Formats: sequence, C-alpha cells, structure tokens
Amino acid sequence: MEFLMPVWEFFQNNILTKPQFFIGFIVFIGYLLLQRPIYEAVAGFIKAVVGYMILNVASGGLVGNFRPVLAGLKDRFDLSAAVIDPYFGQAAAQASIENAGRSFSMMMVVLLIAFSINILLVLFRRYTKIRTLFITGHVMVQQSSTALWLVIFCFPQLQDMGVVCMLGVLLGTYWSVGSNLTVEPCQQLTEGGGFATGHQQMFGIWIVSKIAGKIGNKEKSLENLKLPGFLSIFNENVVATGILMFIFFGVIITILGPELMHKIDPSFSANQSFLFFIIEKSFNFAVYLTILQLGVRMFVSELTESFQGISSKILPGSMPAVDCAATYGFGHPNAVTFGFLFGALGQFLAIIGLIVFQSPILIISGFVPLFFDNATFAVFANRLGGLRAAAIIPFVSGIIQVLGGGFAAYFFTTGNFGGWHGNFDWDTLWPVIGVIMNYGQYIGVVAVILILLAIPQIIYYRSKDTYFLIAEDYDQYLEVMEQKKRSAEELEVMAQKV
Amino acid sequence: MLKVIAACGSGMGSSQIIKMKLEKVFKKLGIEASIYHTNIGDAKSQAANYDVVVCSDSLIGTFANATAKKVIVIGLKNLLSEKEIEEKVLEKIVNAQ
Repeated sequence: MEFLMPVWEFFQNNILTKPQFFIGFIVFIGYLLLQRPIYEAVAGFIKAVVGYMILNVASGGLVGNFRPVLAGLKDRFDLSAAVIDPYFGQAAAQASIENAGRSFSMMMVVLLIAFSINILLVLFRRYTKIRTLFITGHVMVQQSSTALWLVIFCFPQLQDMGVVCMLGVLLGTYWSVGSNLTVEPCQQLTEGGGFATGHQQMFGIWIVSKIAGKIGNKEKSLENLKLPGFLSIFNENVVATGILMFIFFGVIITILGPELMHKIDPSFSANQSFLFFIIEKSFNFAVYLTILQLGVRMFVSELTESFQGISSKILPGSMPAVDCAATYGFGHPNAVTFGFLFGALGQFLAIIGLIVFQSPILIISGFVPLFFDNATFAVFANRLGGLRAAAIIPFVSGIIQVLGGGFAAYFFTTGNFGGWHGNFDWDTLWPVIGVIMNYGQYIGVVAVILILLAIPQIIYYRSKDTYFLIAEDYDQYLEVMEQKKRSAEELEVMAQKV
Repeated sequence: MLKVIAACGSGMGSSQIIKMKLEKVFKKLGIEASIYHTNIGDAKSQAANYDVVVCSDSLIGTFANATAKKVIVIGLKNLLSEKEIEEKVLEKIVNAQ
C-alpha cells in the first residue's frame, strides 16, 4: 500500500485543495456519467476551471478594492463595514474561510451533498411532503459559500468531512423546505405556471403571501401609476451598482478625507483629483462584480443545465424551484420598480439609524438584495394587497435587511472582509440558525433540521386533499376549491333553515 | 442558422431557463439555432448582432431600438412554459417569414 501515499498526496495537493480543478473534475465526471461525448466533457472541464479562476480574480479584486476603505474606517472611527450583497458576501466568506486556513473546495462538495438531499426528500415526498427541487445554480454556489463559513465559524475544530456532511444536510433541508413553501404563493400568482421559487427570500415570499392581503386592498393596484422614465436605468446591473457604490463610497471616502486616503491607498496617485479617485474607486466595484458574474455564469451554467435535466428526468410530478425573476412576468413592471424604490427607502433609513445609534458596523446597500428581494415581494404583495402592500412590505423588508445583515456581518465577523450575503432569508432565518449553531452546537443543528422538516408536515395536515394537487394539476385544484366553497355555502343555507 | 440571445436582469437565472426551454422548442420544431444567454445590459448593446432576442415581458421595453433594427423581440410571461414559447416562436419566427 506504500506506493499509494504519493498518489494520494499528489491528488490532495493538486486537486482536492485547488477548488478550480476540483470543480473542473466534478463537471468532467458529471458529463461522462451523463454519457455526453468526451470532447464536450473536455469543453465543460475547461469552462468550469476558467470560470472558477475568473471568479477568484474578481473576489480578490472586490476584497482588495475595499481593504483601504475598511482600514480607514477602523483607524478613524473604529468601525467595520459590509456591503450586503450575495457576491460581496461570497467573496467575504471565501476570504474568511481561507483566512482560517481551510479549503474553499468544500463549498462544491457541500453543494452536491445538499442537492442530493433535496433529491432524496423529493423522491420520498409521500413521507417528507417536499414537492420542489432547487435548481438555481448561482444561488446554490453563493449560499454554499456563506453557509460554509457559518459552520466553520461555529465549529472551528470540526474536520472537513464532518463540516461538509453536516452542512450538506442542513442546507439541503433549507433548499427543500424553503422552496416548498413558495408552491402555493407561486401557483396562485402565476395561475398554475408550474414552478416555485428557489432563491434567497423563500421564507420572505411565504410571509408576504400571508400578510399582504391584510395590509392593503388588492383592488387598489399600482398598474395605474405613472413612474418617471429615468428609473429604467436601474434595470442595468452595472449602472445600478455604479450609482449605488458612488453614493455610498462617495460619502464614506469624503468623510475619511484625501490626506488619509493618500496614506492608506497606494492606488490614489499624488496628482489625481479627489473626485475622480472616488469615481474610479466606486466604479471598480462594478468592474469586479461584472467579472465575478462572468465567472459564475461560466461554471454555473454547466451545473444548472444538468440539474434541470435531473429535475425533469427522474422527478416527474415535482416542481422546479427557479430564480425569483421568473415571477416578474406575472406582475406589472411598476411592481418591480416600486419594490426597488421602497426597499431602498427602508434600507437608507435603517443605515442612517445605524449611524445615529453608533452601531459598531456600517452597512452599505448592495444591488442584488435591494432589487431582487424587494421587487419579488412587491410583485406578490401587489397581487394580494395592491399598492399599499407593495409599498409597505418592501419598505419594512429594507429595514430588516440592513439590521439583520448588520448583525450577521458583525457577529459572524465577515465585516472584516467587507461583505455579508444580505438577501432576506440570510438577514433573518440564517443569522438565527447561525446563533443556534454557535450556542447549541450539535444539538442546535439537529433541532434546526427537525424544525425545518416539520414545516411541510404542518402545512400538509392543514390542507391534506389539495396539498399535492396544487402542484400537479392547478385547474383541478381550482375545481376542488370551488366545490368546497359551494358545499360550505349549502351547509350554511341548510343551517339557516334549521 | 438562427442566432438567438436570451436575456434577464443578472444574466444567470432566468435567461438560462429561457435558453434551455428554447432549445427544447426549437428542437421540436426542427429549427436550427445557436442560443446564448446574458444580462440585459449586455443584450441591449449586442442585440443588433442577433436575429432574435427573448426576455421576460417586464423587460421588453429595453429593446425598443432593436425592434427598430428588425431584430425579432419576444417577450414571455411564463419563462418556463414551453407552450407559450412554442406559440410565440410560431407566430413571430415561423409564420412571419
């Protein structure tokens, strides 16, 4: 057996601890298992490796661009800061994991285990009551990264094998239970569109579907509103990020002042104007975000494609849980803009609150939670509670995002690297899970998994006869509901007669 | 060979779903096409290089210029509905020729 040692060492040093090659080989083997031709497998391998390496350049760039500003804030005000955005969060999580001397390759293993758990829970849906398979690849990568750091933070002694197995089960349970919660809201919004949401605000969507009707009146919808045309520029990611970062970093860097910036940031040359330095610094974030997304798109599209294949092949009768933007076609374009605006209002107000109450961490709005979470909430809220709900819910959500994200970035220390995941579930549910894991350790993890698994059971027992029907055949579901309503009315009439 | 681009906000989630559904529909209808996916800003600046742009109904306003340049722009309500995609492909591509 002696001769195997060098082979294993070679494997460990060159593949296992190098995420780019590890991911590349997983894609390569995946293609072979799917019986695709070898040249496609090679192409997939190259795209996955290059995609990951691009992502690495961008993550390093994001954190590096932020570092002098973070140092300045620490130096002058003893503050740390975090952009609440899943890409910044992913970069900060990766930096935290590597800083702790652990390998980021585990992220990919976690993702695969969690996805398998989701498949298992759907296969045994008669017992588990899970109807949805989470297939949004880029979100799975982001969530695996952030959750991996949470587990390493809470269990620093745990070996790699233990980390990936435990987190795989936990995250897979969250994907299954969370996306399963969106079945009813999505089917009602899309009138049987046949998909659920598998994104970053699944518990949020469920809450919105429960409260929106009580907050507003669906007759007063926002379709008649005329919104100013300039708002459409926020549709473009680069433009929106550029503007947001310019506002926030403009203020922060101006307060830090040119002298300090000259001292701490070597990229600020002696003859450059302060204004143009700020513009360049802010737009750099848009540059790295664009590169990061290019990288993610390159290696994730291979992943999503095979997930989609699995979902339609081996799991008939289950629903795919996809990107939240798939719901936007079912809401008025105004709803999307409205959610973004009121979410921004809530976030800005909460950020001012953090400063006034001298919070030890400063939060900077990121585009993804601001736009995608709140726009999604507004689409659902408008359908159920009209204009009023579509304004109030994103506004409150904005406040929660900042406070929850601020707590998480501080407690789990990703603020040291300038980011936190920042989407709704990751500002509410996940910080709670993290705190439970931190203090409850293994008992806490088991408790969280059991509580999550109980949720679909409870919903099932409250609507036994239509629970699977709403996912499988929406028209028939409507008929059953109509019949129920009619017989309830008949009963009432009979009761009155008696 | 038809050149098609699918677009969505971030160019990752929805646009890829559109792309995969389009592939299925085109295969069924026997249309040969190469399909790409990207974000809305990218698609806007490159639209003139493609024959067809497909996106969500809510983003269709972005491609007003492309429509003027005779690029076919298809807006979808349900990105996952092969039925809707097939109907719109038949209407705007197959029967328009």
